[in-house]
Amino acid sequence: MKHPIRTAITAVVIGAAACPAMAQEPADTRAVWHQQVADGYAALQAETEALVSQTLSYCGSPADAQRQALERQWRQAFEAWQAVRWVDFGPVEQGNRAWQFQFWPDPKNLIGRKASLLLQTPDADIGKAVAEGGVAVQGFPMAEYLIFDSRLNQGDQALPAPATCRALRAVAAFAADNSAALVNEWQVFEAAYTANELYLDSTVRAGMTALDILAERRLAAPMGFRGNDRRSVYLADAWRSEYSLAAVRASLEGLRQQFLPGLRQRLMQADETALADRIARAFDDALARLDAMPVAMRPLLDDDEAFGQLQGLYVTISQLQQLVNGQAATALGVIRGFNSSDGD
Amino acid sequence: MKQVYRPLPLALAVSLVAVAGCSNQQESDVKESGTSEQAAVVAPTKAQVVEHYSDLAYANFSDALTTAEALDEAVDTLIENPTEANLAAAKQAWLAARVPYQQTEVFRFGNAIVDDWEGQLNAWPLDEGLIDYVAADGYQYELGNDGATANIIASPSINIGGNTVDVSELTPELLANLNEIGGSEANVATGYHAVEFLLWGQDLNGFDAGAGNRPVTDYAQGEECTHGNCDRRAAYLDAATDLLIDDLEWMVAQWAPGKDDNYRAELLAESPDAAIQKMLFGMGSLSLGELAGERMKVALEANSYEDEHDCFSDNTHNSHYYNGQGVANVYKGTYTRVDGTVVNGPSLSDLVAEVNPELDKTLRVQLVESMAALATMKTVAETDNQPLKFDMMIAPSSERGADIVNGAIVALVNQTGSIEQAAGELGIDSLEPDDAGHAF
Repeated sequence: MKHPIRTAITAVVIGAAACPAMAQEPADTRAVWHQQVADGYAALQAETEALVSQTLSYCGSPADAQRQALERQWRQAFEAWQAVRWVDFGPVEQGNRAWQFQFWPDPKNLIGRKASLLLQTPDADIGKAVAEGGVAVQGFPMAEYLIFDSRLNQGDQALPAPATCRALRAVAAFAADNSAALVNEWQVFEAAYTANELYLDSTVRAGMTALDILAERRLAAPMGFRGNDRRSVYLADAWRSEYSLAAVRASLEGLRQQFLPGLRQRLMQADETALADRIARAFDDALARLDAMPVAMRPLLDDDEAFGQLQGLYVTISQLQQLVNGQAATALGVIRGFNSSDGD
Repeated sequence: MKQVYRPLPLALAVSLVAVAGCSNQQESDVKESGTSEQAAVVAPTKAQVVEHYSDLAYANFSDALTTAEALDEAVDTLIENPTEANLAAAKQAWLAARVPYQQTEVFRFGNAIVDDWEGQLNAWPLDEGLIDYVAADGYQYELGNDGATANIIASPSINIGGNTVDVSELTPELLANLNEIGGSEANVATGYHAVEFLLWGQDLNGFDAGAGNRPVTDYAQGEECTHGNCDRRAAYLDAATDLLIDDLEWMVAQWAPGKDDNYRAELLAESPDAAIQKMLFGMGSLSLGELAGERMKVALEANSYEDEHDCFSDNTHNSHYYNGQGVANVYKGTYTRVDGTVVNGPSLSDLVAEVNPELDKTLRVQLVESMAALATMKTVAETDNQPLKFDMMIAPSSERGADIVNGAIVALVNQTGSIEQAAGELGIDSLEPDDAGHAF
């Protein structure tokens, strides 16, 4: 119990000390955000380290129960990443770390092609092959491929084949190292974050962008709502592990835990408490819907009747998006800038 | 093309801090061009700037059309007389046609009429097995795409997702209907990249030197024909180039002056602020999300030559270079036509210089820097002695290549930060595209 409390106090003290002359509220808001994200990164570190250990356990003694535990651990680690995925500023920007955690979408199956190269790499070179192999080999989608890909699992190289164990261990270790670096650098970043007023709006924009991506890329695109009528699960996250909607849920829960408290504080300062309440209720609605749905998206895409559930979710998330990206952004005077999703 | 996103924001905030240093040489380049000083004397109105923007678009699309007409003629000659020289001439004509077209892409984002139209002209990456034969090994296509191996040229009818389509007569209309068939945007049946594939063929060299190497005998009629169906291959190429011209004629007409029922008239009737927003949105979206992000960073960071823009011809460096030129054109209000004449007039630069001369100067320097970075990419790719093409730059072990590509990305990211600031200075309070969601 001591550790989290001490961390929280430290954050507030540093936050206050960094900008003594400024109004207290904005610095506090950034301190709130900083602490929530720090907790999220700490969880990511714990879960990716557990993925490394579970890989070693399973590959050391490949029993069914260990295999299930490995699959479960990949899902938990992926959820921990989904929760912090909204943060698009600070240390996660450095060296393309966000892409290193998750290269997505991958319509041409680059993951599968890079995996076949990785599986031919001898033990001595595997760490280097992952470190230098580009973002497609470094993160959760590659680990997912090695654990869940149905074609791989039907062949000789299915886990616990030595080559696949070796590759998975290296990929998981790379993600764990990356997470540890994020945790440390996020602490170092605190001073710059709380001192620079621009981050007040950048943080709101990060949440806005995450909601845009959730609604338009992670739901509308696989649902066939983006310019064509073709439904395709391959445009969703985590289709190999059949965990696309669980990933959506984890991202929403991450936004609620990490982003919403600071947003609420800013809205209350702007006398928009009612709007803050509506946003909180919209998060609850969307999460409640997801609780009643499967964790995979494919069954809902394949069945017209079940598709209605997905449409309902899409509408709910669009309403949340409108409240945050439309009304809250206007109330706070946050202007949308360019981001990488402005291309086609 | 609307689906393939890599939703990672580029390092805007960080890069903005790092913008500071600019060399004296580049500053003097900017001063010599002189527009800022003129602007200080007589600043144009926003309406004048928008009207000149329409003139730039008209001139640029007109050049895209005339160079496409030259391509069409060269293709007709190739089909009539399939010799090595005629194939080389057709390839040259294709390369020349890309120069103006890539500059027009800055008009695409923001102007929904262009964005909705361009998928038939410049969609990529494509699953080329839809069109013609592909290598048995290593052909990578979009997951779940039923049309990826349909091979229209080899078949009188194709079946995609349970629907049978009669493709016995290869007409421009048929190709237009086949584009994105089955709902997959990788099913590119038309446009520059379909023509590129039919001229060059698949690039099977991976990260190594060399472009596609289609034999000219793929167009030989009679016994010399290679890979079969040379008559249909020729008919396809003919129809694809004809369609390109139809499409470009339509777009030129949209920007033509003196009409009251085209897009230009519509744009000029809007509030000037709405049009200025479109101009800035086009510049920023092309700089950051599309060129720096989708076309360079994805290919580089994933070491993926499947994400190379002009992958059959290895002309990607020029596509990027002229994209960058398009952004600079719109800001500076200038366009150098293919015949060498310069279209010049009231510009965004003039407007920004009036309210914030420092910002104008910064952005102009940044545009010079991004063009210098793209020029480095172009020079290295075109040098006679061991050229390094874009697909070699993005190889896992190519440090030099990565430096070159990253240099261009950083420069484009930097200028996008200033484009955002310029929007603020000009009173544009949102860079949300006014057509947001039009694809739904």
